[in-house]
Amino acid sequence: MQDKQFMKEMLTESAHAYKEGRMDRRTFLALCGASGIAMNAVLAGDAQAAADHVVMWNWGGQSVECHGSAIGEAFTAATGKGVKFDTSGPLEGKIKEMVDSGNVTADVADADLFNAVSLGPTGHLEPIDYSIVSKDKTLPGYALEFGVSVILYGYAFVYDTEAYGDNPPKDWKDFFDTANFPGTRALYKWANGSLEAALMADGVAGDALYPLDMERALNKIKSIKDDSIYWGSGSEVHSMVVNSEVTMAIVWQNRGRNMENDTDGRFKLVNNQAMAMPGAYIVPKGNPAGREAVMQFIATAQEVPAQLKLLDCLGMTPSNPAAFGEIPEDQQPYAITSAMNIDKIVYNDPTWWGENGGDAVNAFLEAIS
Amino acid sequence: MNAVARHIHPGWAIIAPLLVLVVALYLGPILNIMWLSVTDPEPGLGNYRKLFEGDTLLRIVWTTLRICVITTVFSVTLGYSIAYAMVHCHQRQKNYMLTLLLVSFWISILVRTFSWLMLLGRNGLVNNTLETLGLISAPIAFMRNELGVLIGMVHYMIPYAVLPLLVSMQSLDSRVMDASRNLGASGSQTFWRIYLPLTLPGIVASTLLVFILSLGFYVTPAVLGGGKVLMVAEYISVQLLVTLKWGTAAMLAALMLAGVLAMLWIMSRFMKLSAVFGGSTR
Repeated sequence: MQDKQFMKEMLTESAHAYKEGRMDRRTFLALCGASGIAMNAVLAGDAQAAADHVVMWNWGGQSVECHGSAIGEAFTAATGKGVKFDTSGPLEGKIKEMVDSGNVTADVADADLFNAVSLGPTGHLEPIDYSIVSKDKTLPGYALEFGVSVILYGYAFVYDTEAYGDNPPKDWKDFFDTANFPGTRALYKWANGSLEAALMADGVAGDALYPLDMERALNKIKSIKDDSIYWGSGSEVHSMVVNSEVTMAIVWQNRGRNMENDTDGRFKLVNNQAMAMPGAYIVPKGNPAGREAVMQFIATAQEVPAQLKLLDCLGMTPSNPAAFGEIPEDQQPYAITSAMNIDKIVYNDPTWWGENGGDAVNAFLEAIS
Repeated sequence: MNAVARHIHPGWAIIAPLLVLVVALYLGPILNIMWLSVTDPEPGLGNYRKLFEGDTLLRIVWTTLRICVITTVFSVTLGYSIAYAMVHCHQRQKNYMLTLLLVSFWISILVRTFSWLMLLGRNGLVNNTLETLGLISAPIAFMRNELGVLIGMVHYMIPYAVLPLLVSMQSLDSRVMDASRNLGASGSQTFWRIYLPLTLPGIVASTLLVFILSLGFYVTPAVLGGGKVLMVAEYISVQLLVTLKWGTAAMLAALMLAGVLAMLWIMSRFMKLSAVFGGSTR
């Protein structure tokens, strides 16, 4: 990810040089080609202060195409403003750095709701304007002062049907049971979801998880440490599963369908006790396009058509209750708020994570390393 | 003007622009990091005290040092034999070896890291072959543990170890070794008592280079360690990007910097560093 940031800065610099005539066109295009970055990603970094655009800061890959078609098109049709993308990934530290440096180039970040809790009170975010954005178009408790949940993703698990064919694991208790379900597990390295899963495996009810009992959770994590490896990115766990390095893995549930397809159904997704994570749109303080434009953008993303397109394109589950009933048949097993799954899932508490996340991640790292 | 010129050599005027650049672009940010380590989240030495409050940070530093030392020992030893072979074979074979060395030097660290997973992973080429041949019943855990990190790091570091050693060995006067044999020393005596001491600056240079580069390793431990091998560089990155404990990150960075500088200083007590880095010994 550092490389990407470097590439972006290098290309933004050369875009300036090209504009001012210090660099010829061929060299600039060669640089773009060599670094494998699409031109629009570069120009997005350059699009600061462009009031006719909203710059969305997301994680690259498919999401550029999907955010463009699901939200961008409707937003442009309604407001006449375009959408550009910065794909370097809005990690909390990067948002803080961007605002602190006074050089804010993004309008809306595709982040987590707990980021809104930790970065909002420190003055790094614009408050959400609930006269434009609707509190009713997300789940109760997921419309906060500095961020609103637009989609849900989740922590669920996949298992190897060849390893556990006759007696498949059904819940987190089975996931942590290495005696009856031998094999290597993959857990998420940055604690999120792994801690909650451990507590549920230890017998804590899904609606009584918070505040997390860290000691209990970490003891459970440590109890399967010898049978665990840990992943840090979606692609990493994907390759662990596809290469059968593990027999069970906690995954981002929106990737479960791809994993089932890529292993020809050998691995199967279990959404029972999946933890719904509120993915949120948050606005860096002093964003270039101004408050009104970006709030309209967020409001557009809340609408049912946008929600369903994000599900279809990215596998992100709608958070607008009005969209729950319209989840198509083939997506039912994979969307965590579908009629098929909604009674089996538990909900993440962004406030606890926003306030305690840093310490929790460090305690988790200490336990697994 | 004359008064100024008497105290300050006019030569300084020529290098002044460079000095200003170095100070502004290099020392400035480093001082900023050090400053951060004593001011964030609150002024004082709290970040440094954290080192001794729990065993977490010390354990991470210890893991880092242990892995770096093992990596350095293996890389320099293997690098020494490779460099020795390169210097003492025919020019044509030497060119082949140099090409292979440089090719692996130029391949991206990510590619090299992931190829190890394909080779030695649970369902990798080696484990599959051994299982098919019936030599093992369960896959050997080469990867996703400390062994995996070491394999990946040693492999990455060997070219860095070879190049300084190669330069050092090539510049030796071979007549010295001939003289040693002529005076009755055996082959191994000549090696241990003449050849090895003469290549010592090269050994020190490659040791320093490999060790210092290993300290900052990030990708290989993160991927091949399976999340269980936590080294300082990855921890710093987490503190910067995820947990926002910039003070802790800055403290660890300052600690690494001080460690490297201290190492160079200790080395400089025993030998001329200019000789290590290719300057003249005289």
